[in-house]
Amino acid sequence: MDNIGHKTVYEPDRFIKMGSFASWKEMAISLFQSRELIWRLFVRDFSAKYRQSLLGILWALLNPIITVGIFVFLNRAGILNIGETSVPYPVFALIGLSIYGIFATGLSVCSNSIIGAGSMVVKINFPKISLVIASMGQSVVDFLVRLALVIILFIIYGIAPQWTFLIFPFTVLPLVLLTLGLGLILSLLAGVFRDVIHLVSFFTTLFLFMMPVLYPAPQAGIFAALNAWNPLAHLIIGCRDILISGRFSDPQSFLWASVFSVLMFLTSWRIFFLSEHRIAERV
Amino acid sequence: MTNDTVIKVENVSKKYCRELKHTMLYGIQDIAKNAIGLSSRSERLRDGEFWALDAVSFEVKKGETLGIIGANGSGKTTLLKLLNGIFMPDKGRIEISGKVGALIEVGAGFHPMLTGRENIYVNGAILGMSKKEIDKKFDDIVNFADIGDFIDSPVKHYSSGMYVRLGFAVAVHCEPDILLIDEVLAVGDEGFRRKCMSKLNEFKGAEKAIVLVSHSMELIQGFCNRAAWVDAGVIKDIGTSANVIDNYLRHVVDIRQTAEKRGRRWGNRDAEITDIRLFDSEGKEVEIIESGDKTLIAVQVRFKKNAENPIFGLLLRNSEGAWVYGTNTMWHDMKFGTFHAGEEVTVTFRQRMYLVADVYYVDPSIAYSDGITSYDWQENALRFSVTSSKRVVGISNLDSSISVQRKTTMQTR
Repeated sequence: MDNIGHKTVYEPDRFIKMGSFASWKEMAISLFQSRELIWRLFVRDFSAKYRQSLLGILWALLNPIITVGIFVFLNRAGILNIGETSVPYPVFALIGLSIYGIFATGLSVCSNSIIGAGSMVVKINFPKISLVIASMGQSVVDFLVRLALVIILFIIYGIAPQWTFLIFPFTVLPLVLLTLGLGLILSLLAGVFRDVIHLVSFFTTLFLFMMPVLYPAPQAGIFAALNAWNPLAHLIIGCRDILISGRFSDPQSFLWASVFSVLMFLTSWRIFFLSEHRIAERV
Repeated sequence: MTNDTVIKVENVSKKYCRELKHTMLYGIQDIAKNAIGLSSRSERLRDGEFWALDAVSFEVKKGETLGIIGANGSGKTTLLKLLNGIFMPDKGRIEISGKVGALIEVGAGFHPMLTGRENIYVNGAILGMSKKEIDKKFDDIVNFADIGDFIDSPVKHYSSGMYVRLGFAVAVHCEPDILLIDEVLAVGDEGFRRKCMSKLNEFKGAEKAIVLVSHSMELIQGFCNRAAWVDAGVIKDIGTSANVIDNYLRHVVDIRQTAEKRGRRWGNRDAEITDIRLFDSEGKEVEIIESGDKTLIAVQVRFKKNAENPIFGLLLRNSEGAWVYGTNTMWHDMKFGTFHAGEEVTVTFRQRMYLVADVYYVDPSIAYSDGITSYDWQENALRFSVTSSKRVVGISNLDSSISVQRKTTMQTR
C-alpha cells in the first residue's frame, strides 16, 4: 500500500459530495486492501478461540450432534412425525443443521464482531468491515468441520455422493452473502443497541423450527406459505438439494433468493460503509 | 496549502452528546440518514448536544512537531481522533497528505490469548502493514520492544511495561509520514522512554510530522517546536511551545479561585492549617515565579488543644503528581516544646525555587512528634506556576554555569 503523496480529506457528508461512482470505487478499493487484515483477524479469532480448550474445533460438532440426536429420538419414539426423507434421517438432519449453522452462527458472530472488538474500534482507524467479514469466517470453518462429519455419515450409510458436491461452494455463496448482509447491519445496530445480540439468538432459534431445516419442506399449511416468501428457506433447501440429490427441487425460487441475497449484501455493504464512522462515536 | 503542509485543519467542529438516551436516538438517526445517502445536517446542534471542538484551525508542516496541551476533557484526544479519521468532523474540513500512524492507545487490538509474535502480525495488519513489511521489520520490532523470550508467550502474561513496549514498537515501525501520539510516553521505565524519544527524534530528523498530546510540559517544551493549547474545545493559543506553555501555566493559576478542587485532607485537626500563601523575596504574594527565584511559603496554624513538639512539613508535587521536594522541622532538628490551645503560629519556609517550568502543588502538614500521626495534612492546598526564561529539561533546575576551556591553541597557516 503506497500512500505517500496521497491526500485524504475528512469532512461532513464526504461521500455525498464525492458522488456515487467515486464512493463505490472507494468502497471496492478499501475492501480489496483489507484482504490481508481480514485474513489476520480471522486467524487471530480462530487461534484464540481454541487455544485453551481440549476439544478445540470439535466443539463445532457437539451442538449439531446433540440436536440431531434429540430429533432422531423424537422421531423413532413416535412423538414427532418427520415424514419421509430421501436419505436416512440423521444424514438429512445433519446436512440441514450444518447449512443452517452458516446462517445462525454467522449472524451471531457478525453482530457481535464490532462491539466485541474492544477499544481498537475507538482507538485505531481501520476498515471495520474487516472485523465482520473475518468473524463470518468462523461460521464457515464450523460448517466445513460439520461437512466432514456429513461425509463420514455418507460412507457409513453407503450413500454415493453426487458430483454436484463440487459445485456446492457456489450454491452456498448466496447464503453466505445474505448472512453477511444482515450481519453488517446488525453489527452496526448492536453498536447502538445491545438488545440486538439477544434478539439474534432468539430469532435464530425460532427460525430453526419455522424453516425446513430438520424436516422436509411442507407442501401445504401455514409454514409452507411463510416459507414460500422466505429467501433463507429457499437457500437452505437449494443447498441441501445439491448435496443430497444433485438437483434443485425449485430452481426458480433458489434463483430469486440468490439475487435477493446479492442485492441485500450490496445494500448492507453500502450502508455500513456510509455510516461506519458513526460507530466509533457511539460504541 | 503549501507543498510541505501535511495537515491542514480548517474550522473543524465536533459535537458530543451527554445523555445516553439521546446518544442512542441520534446514533440511529445519523446512521439512517448516512445509510440512505442523506446529509446528516451535522452542523446543527440537537437537544442535549454540545460542541466538544469548535471551529478549530491550524496547519502542520513537514518536519514539524506540534504539542497539544490542555486540561482533561478539553478536546485534545477528540482532535487527535479527528486527525486519524476515527471520527468525522461535523463541520469544517481536514486535509492530510501522507500515511498516518497513530498511537492513541498502545496495544489496542492486542489479543490477550495470543503470543507476542502473533500479536505483532495482527496489530501490524490493523495498522496497515503487509505481511512482507512485518516480516522485514520483525527483528527490529522485537529488539525495540526488548521483551526477549516472552515473544512466544501469550501477552496476557506480559507486565504492563512489556505490553506498552510491544505496542509502541509495532506502531513506530509502520513508517508513517505523520505520527499522532496521545500521552503514551508517560508509561514505561526511563530506559524505554529514552528509546522512544530517540526514535521520535529520528522521525523528526526524517522530516516527518508529529502531533503529540501530553500533560508533561517538560516533554512538550523539550520536544515540540510548536504547541497548541486547547481549552473547552477551542484553540486558546498556538505558537512556539515556550510561549504557549507560558500562557497556559499562567492561565492554570488564574482559574485557581474559580475552579480549584482541593485535594484530600486528613488528621484529627487538633492543630489546624488555616492558610497558606506564597510570597516573593519582596514580600509580595505571588502565584507565578521565575525558576530560581527566592520565595517564602507561610503556613498559618491554629492549635485547638495543647501539642507537644509537633512537626511542621511541606511537600511539593509537579503537575504529574511526582514528589519534587519535601522537608519538615523534624529533619531540621527543631523542637518547640508545647503549643497551647488557642495559640496561633506562622510557619515560614524560605527557599530558592530551582524548578523547571510547570505547575506545582503544595501539601502543608502538621504531625505529632512521632512523625506518623497527623494533626492536619492538606493536599494541594497551594498551587503555583514556575516559568523559565532559560530552557532546561528534567524535573529540577540546577542552574549550571558552563565554561569551556581550550587546552592547546591550534595554529593554522
